[in-house]
Amino acid sequence: MASLITCPHCGQRPKEEFAIKGAALARPAPDAPQGEWYDYVFLRTNPRGRYEEYWHHVSGCRRWLVVTRDTASHAVEDCRDAAERAPT
Amino acid sequence: MPDLIHRPALTKEPLVGERIRLAPMPEGTLLEVRGPQAELPALEAAADAAGLVIRTNGPDQWFAISGQPMLRLDLPDIFSVTDQSHGRVRIAMEGAAVDDVLAKGMAVDLFDFKIGAATTALIGHITTHIARLDRDRFELTVLRSFAESLWHDLETMSAEFLDR
Ligand SMILES: [Zn+2]
Repeated sequence: MASLITCPHCGQRPKEEFAIKGAALARPAPDAPQGEWYDYVFLRTNPRGRYEEYWHHVSGCRRWLVVTRDTASHAVEDCRDAAERAPT
Repeated sequence: MPDLIHRPALTKEPLVGERIRLAPMPEGTLLEVRGPQAELPALEAAADAAGLVIRTNGPDQWFAISGQPMLRLDLPDIFSVTDQSHGRVRIAMEGAAVDDVLAKGMAVDLFDFKIGAATTALIGHITTHIARLDRDRFELTVLRSFAESLWHDLETMSAEFLDR
């Protein structure tokens, strides 16, 4: 279940300690075409299955994390500090 | 100009049971420090010289604390310091039942939480910094405006161990 998140800094914590920002997408270049920026800001795939999201450990270490989870089973595959991972 | 009178945020009498004791701690100096983890020895040395103790608070983040007010911490420029002395309140909680009481409201596994360990976690719905100062003694640090609410929660959590 995604109700327990293993923060790389704090260990296993309940989801109530976190705020979820949403999909962890690669940020376009500053001078990328407007259409590319539009997609980055507004377009989401909403897959059934594996999904990477930014989670903020608000009531813990206050670090941004990237959580990889399954949207159907809620199984958490990976959780790491956002600074260690460039979005793909 | 009239004299300024210090009024503590938490004016509670200690709660005393055989296995649990709860008391507000003096509002002295509380500084939030940020800087590179590798420079921790420099921070510890400066804090030691200033009469402050260091509590870890996540990656590259610490609290420097004392019961004495108005202490000054001189650090290399690589650190940043925010004075939270009037922004946070500390509560001391101790006794043989302290782990059992905290476990009612918090998801940190206290079995593996060694003496000297510190972290931030939710107690109920209130973000609280907890530090284990001894086997049966914790220091809870909370935002000033949440102090009375946290105290109320802790009192409820402690109720079964209080003599009344
Ligand atoms: Zn964390």
